Amino acid sequence: MLSYIIRRLLLLPVILIGVTLLIYCVFSLLSPIERLATYIHDPNTLIIPKAAERLIAKYHLSDPFPLGYINWLKRIAHFDLGWSRTANQPVKDAISQRFPATLELVLYSIIPVILVGIWLGVISAVHHNDMLDQTIRVTAIIGGSLPSFIFGLLVLFIFYGILGWLPPGRLSSWAQDIVYTSSNFHSYTHLITIDALLNGNLPIFLDALRHLIAPIITLSYISWAFLLRITRSSMLDTLRKDYVKTARSKGVDEYTVIHLHAQRNALIPVMTVAGTMIIHMLGGVMITEIIFDYPGLGFWTATAAQQLDYGSVISFALLFATLMVLGNLIVDVSYALIDPRVRLE
Amino acid sequence: MNRILRKLFSNATSLIGIILLIIFVTIAIFAPVIAPPLSEDYYQIPRMSWDINPQPPGSPMSGDIRDIYDYMGTEIKYDRAICGTAEGGYDIFYGLIWGTRTAFKIGIITVTVSMLIGIVIGSISAYFGKWVDEILMRITDIFLSFPFLVAAMVLTTVLGRGLDKVMIALIVFGWMGYARLIRGSILSTKEETYIMAAKALGVNDGKIILKHLLPNTIFLVMVQGSMNIGSMVITAAALSFLGVGAPVGYADWGQMVSFARNWIIGSPGHAGQYWYTVLYPGIFIVLFVLAWNLIGDTLRDILDPRLRGEL
Amino acid sequence: MIVNNKEPLLEVNDLKTHFFTENGIVKAVDGVGFKVYQGEVLGLVGESGCGKSVTAFSIIRLLDYPGKTVEGEILFKGENLLRKTDAEMRKIRGKDIAMIFQEPMTALNPVLTVGFQISEALLMHFKISKDEAIKKTIELLEKVGIPMPEQRINEYPHQLSGGMRQRVMIAMAMSCDPILLIADEPTTALDVTIQAQILDLMRTLLREFNGSLIMITHDLGVIAEIADRVAIMYASKIVEYANKRTIFYNPLHPYTFGLLTSIPRLDMEMKRLNVIPGIVPNPLHFPEGCKFNPRCRFMTDRCKEEEPQLIKVEEGHLVRCWNIDKVAPEVKKDLLVGE
Repeated sequence: MLSYIIRRLLLLPVILIGVTLLIYCVFSLLSPIERLATYIHDPNTLIIPKAAERLIAKYHLSDPFPLGYINWLKRIAHFDLGWSRTANQPVKDAISQRFPATLELVLYSIIPVILVGIWLGVISAVHHNDMLDQTIRVTAIIGGSLPSFIFGLLVLFIFYGILGWLPPGRLSSWAQDIVYTSSNFHSYTHLITIDALLNGNLPIFLDALRHLIAPIITLSYISWAFLLRITRSSMLDTLRKDYVKTARSKGVDEYTVIHLHAQRNALIPVMTVAGTMIIHMLGGVMITEIIFDYPGLGFWTATAAQQLDYGSVISFALLFATLMVLGNLIVDVSYALIDPRVRLE
Repeated sequence: MNRILRKLFSNATSLIGIILLIIFVTIAIFAPVIAPPLSEDYYQIPRMSWDINPQPPGSPMSGDIRDIYDYMGTEIKYDRAICGTAEGGYDIFYGLIWGTRTAFKIGIITVTVSMLIGIVIGSISAYFGKWVDEILMRITDIFLSFPFLVAAMVLTTVLGRGLDKVMIALIVFGWMGYARLIRGSILSTKEETYIMAAKALGVNDGKIILKHLLPNTIFLVMVQGSMNIGSMVITAAALSFLGVGAPVGYADWGQMVSFARNWIIGSPGHAGQYWYTVLYPGIFIVLFVLAWNLIGDTLRDILDPRLRGEL
Repeated sequence: MIVNNKEPLLEVNDLKTHFFTENGIVKAVDGVGFKVYQGEVLGLVGESGCGKSVTAFSIIRLLDYPGKTVEGEILFKGENLLRKTDAEMRKIRGKDIAMIFQEPMTALNPVLTVGFQISEALLMHFKISKDEAIKKTIELLEKVGIPMPEQRINEYPHQLSGGMRQRVMIAMAMSCDPILLIADEPTTALDVTIQAQILDLMRTLLREFNGSLIMITHDLGVIAEIADRVAIMYASKIVEYANKRTIFYNPLHPYTFGLLTSIPRLDMEMKRLNVIPGIVPNPLHFPEGCKFNPRCRFMTDRCKEEEPQLIKVEEGHLVRCWNIDKVAPEVKKDLLVGE
């Protein structure tokens, strides 16, 4: 196992370089002037004669590909990601300001994915072909056919349009005043729910939660529908295995057979898929945040894309790709740790 | 093959899927008859009015638009918005009908091309092995590091709006699954005893690949492909929804839903007033994808025991 | 070696287990009956698909869907197992009746330690502490001949060799000193030298507390080693039932006869290997009359129409055939085992 981990770690920089290379390839599909736009924040700069040429030279935007790539990479390493037109601030700041919101959303969304997806998947397999199983299966299939944005619109429509329970946005205006302007409120983590608890402010905690529920439902939904089917099929496979029969032949009670002997084996492949799914959930963030006006990274990126703010979009892609590569590494390593057959190789 | 077809037809869920699919195919084929186009660009949704607000189903074509068509000499085959209009007066019904053609175009083209790319790369990787395999697989990993939607979005932002750009984006970031699938399939089949038996009989490598390895493995990949058609359409729709896919007014279901975000809540006191802007395109998307999913689900079940025993 | 209490430990009467599949009803076990006395080894012999494993699973009541036992009784210590509730069966499984499976690699759980899997049965059936269970587990591993047992209990199945895994399975099955052990082809997956060791081990362990064994196998060599009585199964029924000596020296069923003559002989010149022509019938389409008739060289018209019942030829020897008088002289001729 050790050699496996070492190999993965050695590959890490290779893959990261590949990722940055790919992004740069896409970036260089744009003309130098268009790419220049990502570094300038005052359009009046270009009125100065020869300003464009000098700046293009400064940022190496007309250089041959390898040089251009290396320079770009150097800038990235120094966190100089350019200027975001849509956010009217450096991309670096735009990201760091919006990151906590998205992080909070994603972290909470993991819970229903695992609970509903895996737990229901196990139940569905155990009650194979029952009414319960059929219902769950049909729900999952229909769920898999309902695109997340339509689902999200439905949620918005029902829970806000009709019922008025779950408003869009991240906080109500009165809560926003306190969190962002009051000196009594200390933002330790920038995760509003946690900060609210740390500040002992229950109303804000509840308000934040209330705004999170609908986005969480929307974001997690695609993932748990998929995870449910995988868990169910893995569990069904495992329940047919010989060692399950062995356990039963020893007189082990059914609960232990299912939840210890079978589940532990069935969940190994599921866990790795779950990890990958959660990482992919990051992609769905854009849709969810747009639908619910949730001011996170996804909202900003989608807006930036509509307005052709290349710098922001490219930076966002870079960030997410990096997170995914790291996430995959963690998933692969944990797989090696969980499965004794790999661990003790 | 026949057995598979028979099983597909006998299973209730896949039968529903097949029926739905047939309906959609019919709509797509007869689109010019069902919703006669009013301009040379068939995919440009005609506008029933200049109104920003969506109009409810049954609204008639506004006078000034009718005048324009009369002036141009275009014959107006129907003049009511049967399913209502979206923001800007775009006729929803037209968009639904021609959107079916768009959906099939997107689904089939993207899957076919990405499948071909995947098969080529996967086969090369599996056949040559060693460092060719290593490099190609690392490249695949790199492409896989991008969440599909994000990657497609970046590409369409840079390339511009348009259906072809959307398809390019979907293809560029969609081939990896097939590559891995065929590589894995070839690698495991390579070790199968019947291949070794052929080798022991002196059959040369090329023949082995063509006659024995490829047929089995390609079938698997094709099944995976057909199951992916639905998700391709969804992703394309998501891109349009985010405003980076098909241009405004194009007959694409996702594009039609993108308007709906602003109108879904309706005006105060009239929640759901503009339900038709979301419901109609939404239903079409869901049913289309459901059809492919139902068929795909059954195909997967059929394949399972086959993989176990007989293949 | 047979210590006979008057009542049999296990008595199976007219057992019928059917599988209700999409393609039809498969009558895997169709009227099987035998007795096992305490301290005795019954060999259940037959080719793949004859229903011997299904019989075993019917006894321990671990049939897979869509199998169901539809008729018969299984009397264990006088009580009918088919009438017991799931909870009652669970108390019996592992403790009074235990089973050993064919493939030790797949029969052991890959993510649980060997020690856990053995002590699980102990903790399930006896009120002992964890430490005591571990101690007993180490003792068991020693008894089955696994070196360094204290280390082994923390290892996983994939870290052991095939022979060791099977010993672990035996330790697991015997952990609660079951009075009846059912072994489903325990040596088939092992090589011949290990096979002998395993058989020896099983015999020794059983002798310790006078337990009984049902040995399911297709290998007549194993039967010769270890069985006291033998039941030969073909296509869901028992076709001959006798003690070991009779089966080998005086078989009366054509199938048994065919099995014995197909064993190559070193002491005789043989030009070709003898085979039983034809193949095992498809359980969905059993032939009319005697199920063996298409392959039988003694077949007569009656065999094609009427299925024979089990007839008692002499005390303790039952045969299911219309033509045993024709078979007997052939046996004397072909087996040539100078008596």
